[in-house]
Amino acid sequence: MFLQQLINGLTLGSVYALIALGYTMVYGILQLINFAHGEIYMIGAYLAIIVLGVLTATGFSATNLPLAILLAFIVSGIFCGAYGLTLERVAYRPLRHAHRLSPLISAIGMSIFLQNYVMLSQGAVDKVFPHIIPTKGIEIAGASISYLQIFILVASFILMIALHLFIKKTRLGKAMRATSQDSRMASLVGIDSNKVIAVTFVIGSMLAAAAGVMVAMYYGVVNFFIGYTAGIKAFTAAVLGGIGNIPGAMLGGLLLGLVEGLGASYISSEYKDVFAFTILILVLIFRPTGLLGERIGEKV
Amino acid sequence: MKSEVRSLPPQAPRLKISGTSLSGGRKPALEGFNQELEVRKTGSYEVKRVGLLSFSASQLLKFSFLAFTVCCLLPTVFTGCAKKEDTIKIGVAGPMTGDQAKMGMDLKNGVELAVSEWNERSGVLGKKIELLTEDDQHDPKLAVAVANKLANSGAAGVVGHWNSSASIPASEVYKEGGNIPMITPASTNPQLTERGFENVFRVCGRDDQQGKLAAEFVISSLKIKKVAIIHDKTTYGQGLADEFKKAIGSAADVVYYGVIIQGDKDFRAVLTSIKGKKPELIYFGGIYPEAGLLVKQARELGIKTPFMSGDGTIDKEFIKIASKENAEGTYLTFSPDPSNIATAKAFLDKYHAKYGEHGPYSIYAYDAANILLTGISKAGVTDGKRVSDEIHKLTYEGALGAIQFDQKGDVLKAPYIVWITKDGEFKEYWKPGEE
Repeated sequence: MFLQQLINGLTLGSVYALIALGYTMVYGILQLINFAHGEIYMIGAYLAIIVLGVLTATGFSATNLPLAILLAFIVSGIFCGAYGLTLERVAYRPLRHAHRLSPLISAIGMSIFLQNYVMLSQGAVDKVFPHIIPTKGIEIAGASISYLQIFILVASFILMIALHLFIKKTRLGKAMRATSQDSRMASLVGIDSNKVIAVTFVIGSMLAAAAGVMVAMYYGVVNFFIGYTAGIKAFTAAVLGGIGNIPGAMLGGLLLGLVEGLGASYISSEYKDVFAFTILILVLIFRPTGLLGERIGEKV
Repeated sequence: MKSEVRSLPPQAPRLKISGTSLSGGRKPALEGFNQELEVRKTGSYEVKRVGLLSFSASQLLKFSFLAFTVCCLLPTVFTGCAKKEDTIKIGVAGPMTGDQAKMGMDLKNGVELAVSEWNERSGVLGKKIELLTEDDQHDPKLAVAVANKLANSGAAGVVGHWNSSASIPASEVYKEGGNIPMITPASTNPQLTERGFENVFRVCGRDDQQGKLAAEFVISSLKIKKVAIIHDKTTYGQGLADEFKKAIGSAADVVYYGVIIQGDKDFRAVLTSIKGKKPELIYFGGIYPEAGLLVKQARELGIKTPFMSGDGTIDKEFIKIASKENAEGTYLTFSPDPSNIATAKAFLDKYHAKYGEHGPYSIYAYDAANILLTGISKAGVTDGKRVSDEIHKLTYEGALGAIQFDQKGDVLKAPYIVWITKDGEFKEYWKPGEE
């Protein structure tokens, strides 16, 4: 049973981690908590249902399931990337030099706007994911691990490694790191910080889209409100790992998923969310910069 | 941002004024509220808006209070005007948005159909009937707010709410708001009618009847010895699960008794714990969004144990969420199929023509609305107490057959039977007394 709970927790945790990456990347560069990030994830989940709904209706996904799922990821990624870009242009860029509170309020406003926009355009009723994913799996020591769970784990790890390599190895990644360290200095040496910020938003949104597609498949039901809880959980994960720190977000997400899964099964499922937030409070008290966050002194 | 330009004597010095003491450098967080007054060289000065609003915090508070007061007063003014119009208002309240919106819609459609029929026959008491639809989002707090709104807008009666957790607090508002009669088509928690409220009725059965029947079926027909029980912590879900547990008594072992959270989407942790206990049946007290996911996720975890649940789950949405294969063989307790009731035929035909397929509680909503309107028509007034008295005396021949209420407001006859999910449909399966 422990193995089963471990797998359940890790699956959930890797989804949290993917969303948390978007929070942490944006925070790293802009010191802004993008509260509308959860909504991007929700839109990603809706897009998956729409794309796969169409493909199932035309009979395409019955014969080419992997291709259909890949298509859902691509469409959802492109659309959410565009949403992220627009979000940054419309809600954050005009407020770039305003007081810190202004973009924060703007973020909350965008979150409310997107939620209601989806509710009005897609309806207030739950949307059900087409039942095309095989429920089968493999049995290891009494634990059944579905192919979907394996897929989610593998896919999110690939995405995380890809992100890590992107940031460490590419020129754009280097520019992102430079901007996050000191955006004024970076622009002095010729880095277009607006471009870097836009890229950050697009990448973060695409990761959220991937998480959305996976969650739509995993839970099977999507509504306009899922972005809220997932957003808060992912934000917790980001803070847990040290906000602004990319490996921290990954670790925080996985830990949060594990704590939730194991706490719910071995202590009480009633207090599932309580465990997650208790951990957050403990970390904030004893290690305010998060597990992997560095202790930064006052900037001189 | 807007800016105002006012003229000022040209000799005025250039000055910068910060609105309030909040501008101290130590608290940059509140900077956005401050006004910055800058005098231009041309001799006019300009109020620049910094941040979102140019009001100071206290001005903002005053303003929002004023706006709030105006908002509160407006409806009263409007209802004041509306009262002069010649309509009789009845309310319908339930979860119109959110995960249980399908139920709210069924409820609203049923009531709407009844009201339109009455209006075609010249209304009630010589006046047209106006339907006020309110959304409680199955939230007890919102249910109270909505009930207050209905009471204040002069509703002569209410059909609703759908969830027991909404109906119970709302009924108190209706009671205090002038004994406004409230007929719920679907709230089955016993507590609703156990508090001696003369204005509260239900046209459905009660969970103590439903839970007892489920237990009888499990013990005498399925002959099951080990059950797991889960509920969603709502008044309805927990009430039903506890009635079932009580009725099971010592005839079978309850190997697991646990809780899930309504609105949650991942129940794998609870299901994994259940898997280890190897029950022969999993009983769920709750509503279809969670029931569907529970069944789906249980099958994904390799749990093949049959599920059983109550009337909150018997909707096509359940099968849609769980998928046809996963839902197969799920037992549900509900009243008999209206398609087999002769008196229901006219209703079903009209409903199908207007709204498509009926939900489990559409017909109950329709009868509830008809009973309410008959009560008003017999009383000859819209006074809550007198209408309630009339409803108590009534024997109503409706789509469901004859409905009569006892002293508490429960129906005299509430036949529950067991249904089964087969090939994506709900089928009648077992009646008490059968093997």
